[in-house]
Amino acid sequence: MWKYFAKRLGMMAVALFFIILLTFIIMHSIPGGPFTSDRKVSAEVEAALNAKYNLDAPLYEQFFDYLGGVLRGDFGPSYEYTGKSVNDFIANGFPVSAKLGVITMVFVLLASIPMGILAAVKNGKWQDMAVMAVATIGVTIPSFVIASVLIYIFSFRLNWLPTYGVDTWKGYILPVIALGGYSVSYLARLMRSSLLEVMGQDYIRTARAKGLSETKVILRHAMRNALIPVITVLGPTVANLLTGSFVVEKIFAIPGLGVHFVNSVSQRDYTTIMGVTIFYATFLLAMIFIVDVFYCLIDPRIKYE
Amino acid sequence: MKKKISLVLALGLACSTVLSGCGGSSGETEPQTIAEATTEAPSSEAAEAETEAPAASGAQEMTFIISNEPDGIDPGITNNSFASIFLANCFEGLVTYDSTGTVVGGNAESWDISDDGTVYTFHLRDGLKWSDGSDLTANDYVYAMQRVLDPATGGQYVDILTAYIKNAKEYYSGEATADELGIKAVDDQTLEITLIQPTSFFIDLLTMWVFDPVQQATIEANGDQWTASADTYICNGPFKITEMNMGESMILEKNENYWDAANVTLDKLTLRYVLDTSTALTAYESGEVDGIRNIPSADYARLKAENAGVQTVPNYGTVWYNINCSKEPYNDPLVRKALNLAIDRQSIINNVVQVDATPAYNFLAPGYVVNGKDITEGRSDRGLGPNADPEAAKAALAEAGYPNGEGFPTIQLSYYADDTVKKVVEAMAEMLQTNLGVNVEVTSNDWAIFYENVQNGDYDVAAMGWTADYTHPMSFLPLLVTGDANNNSFYSNPEYDALVEQAKSETDPEVAADLILQAEDVAMDEYPFINLYYKTNDFLMKDYVKGYYMLSNGNLCFKNVTISK
Repeated sequence: MWKYFAKRLGMMAVALFFIILLTFIIMHSIPGGPFTSDRKVSAEVEAALNAKYNLDAPLYEQFFDYLGGVLRGDFGPSYEYTGKSVNDFIANGFPVSAKLGVITMVFVLLASIPMGILAAVKNGKWQDMAVMAVATIGVTIPSFVIASVLIYIFSFRLNWLPTYGVDTWKGYILPVIALGGYSVSYLARLMRSSLLEVMGQDYIRTARAKGLSETKVILRHAMRNALIPVITVLGPTVANLLTGSFVVEKIFAIPGLGVHFVNSVSQRDYTTIMGVTIFYATFLLAMIFIVDVFYCLIDPRIKYE
Repeated sequence: MKKKISLVLALGLACSTVLSGCGGSSGETEPQTIAEATTEAPSSEAAEAETEAPAASGAQEMTFIISNEPDGIDPGITNNSFASIFLANCFEGLVTYDSTGTVVGGNAESWDISDDGTVYTFHLRDGLKWSDGSDLTANDYVYAMQRVLDPATGGQYVDILTAYIKNAKEYYSGEATADELGIKAVDDQTLEITLIQPTSFFIDLLTMWVFDPVQQATIEANGDQWTASADTYICNGPFKITEMNMGESMILEKNENYWDAANVTLDKLTLRYVLDTSTALTAYESGEVDGIRNIPSADYARLKAENAGVQTVPNYGTVWYNINCSKEPYNDPLVRKALNLAIDRQSIINNVVQVDATPAYNFLAPGYVVNGKDITEGRSDRGLGPNADPEAAKAALAEAGYPNGEGFPTIQLSYYADDTVKKVVEAMAEMLQTNLGVNVEVTSNDWAIFYENVQNGDYDVAAMGWTADYTHPMSFLPLLVTGDANNNSFYSNPEYDALVEQAKSETDPEVAADLILQAEDVAMDEYPFINLYYKTNDFLMKDYVKGYYMLSNGNLCFKNVTISK
């Protein structure tokens, strides 16, 4: 099994290399550059700017210079924001996004799994209908709509919660709901269908036949298998929530990492595009890897060779 | 965003502005310009400082929401309009605009101009200090300008220096030494700037932040990073930055070392970034903040009706659409005239953009005043009106050889991804189709691609416009000069070029104004643009905030603010 994990780690490194290479190529092939502004600067100024950021070197040289920097953990200076580095963006933005993400994750788990179990156990009854109704709304309505409605009701009409920012604990309530709404609904539905499927299997009947209480049957025997699909999507979900959602962060003015994802592209801020993409990709690959490790622990049927 | 967002918001926002360190309310000096011209930029009544100083009451602190983070706050480097709120309040140059838009002394108490109009001698105020308490001298100005002229700095406004100051271009390219450069400190309080040729609007240029002093000590110790933390951000204006929270907020506090600190009442100004303008508006309406910089256009009319504190200030800029004058059939002025006649400007202003703006028939925005009179008063309307004139439009097109639009190629109407611009473009496409009987195809790209296409002449009609860097027509005129880097309508007329060249070196403001208007006549009679309307800046401010003013260059100055709740 350890051999398998070592191999997986090696593959991750290869995947990461290709992600870096592809992003680099695509980024440089789209028209426009980091210094395209609404005011055309003279050729000399453009040359001076390109020289300042080493953009006049051949592309392959820029790529290997950059790769060297990445290996040393240096994502380079931002081309767009004078005096700031991509490491600054990540160091400042990621903790903010991650804190919101962790709180949202806890909220998602605490809400979705009990909801899913309840719906499965009360299959076809009103509890099931209610959970499914909420979950359907959650997956179909986009987060920015949920966010706007929440702000309108709780900040503007009732004046209970702040409109923007996460300066106090109250500030977290609305973004957490807006950010986690989709995941709660999706995971609750997944939990429900997965549990229903497991409940119909032979070993559950055996467990019941042994005279175990229904609670024990569900929590001890059914849940372990029913959680596998949930854990599969949990990896990317965690990565997603922790690295920040541009839309939610924008609406609630949360200074996280999400905004750099989106803005750096339209600004052609090459180093920021690269740095944030690499950071996100690494995070995502790590999460998927962790999920695989979890499979092993939770499901004795899975053996890695 | 930055520059692209700046365009995104271009319909109401300055693209790139000038730093004026917010004029002095005391110690005003009589500028000794050659022909005693006064350059006035009007600032709206609504946004102007109250005439009587209101009594300050309550904590002198406020929060103002801005929607865009500037690409930097180094006055020597950035040309980004979003930096203006920081640079206008934290720095002050030799001269500045006061609340009425008049050029007054800033760090310079007075100045003399040599008889030939090429040597400017500035006398600095006594006891000028940096925000860290150290002395600010004429040498700091020399250092700052030499730094801008060092290619390694990457200054984006360097062209402003190289175009006018003696040997600046040569110094930039390494062909002249510092001794030969036309910027000298005669002594600690005297600065001498020598120009290439007489330039009547040089004083206006000096209000730009690229001429602000920067402190050598902090830059040498911290490099580009000096603007990245509050401790090293040494400035010389009414406010200093005491806290920088990346992507979140900047906290400005009164700078006790500012020469006119006695007249600064506001203790603390929190500038908070809120990207989403709807969220910002909700925060304003629920009373969480005292003002917001950008108003969502859909809410403009309602807020105005509710007297919610809408401030509308003329902005020295014009929204127009470029017509590609180098391309068939748009190289025919009659075709361009037809396009102009087919547009209903008033309908676009009232129904699409929904702002208080004036239809534009010319490209120079009003706002430049010579001897008490706005030079744009009484200009020709080029046969255009607020509404479309389909008959005349069709007639012009027929005269150009396309009766009822027959045989006219499909017009490519290009724009950049932006919601307001999209609506305007759609309305214009509809007007051109209905009024001229031609086919219109609308194409959209993100800003970087759009702008590259425009610069390469790869378009028919494209969304554009201009916001001046300084309040003088010379900030507009080069846009139509043959071969200018920013002339991307590819208009070319030797008569126009000659008039602009003449106006540039003319030292008598009245004669210069006459030349400027003649030049505009030449160009506008050939319709190189579809001018739509003159820009305004709109923002919201609660009524207990008094004394702020916004200049026509978009700088919002908090120097004289008092809070009276």
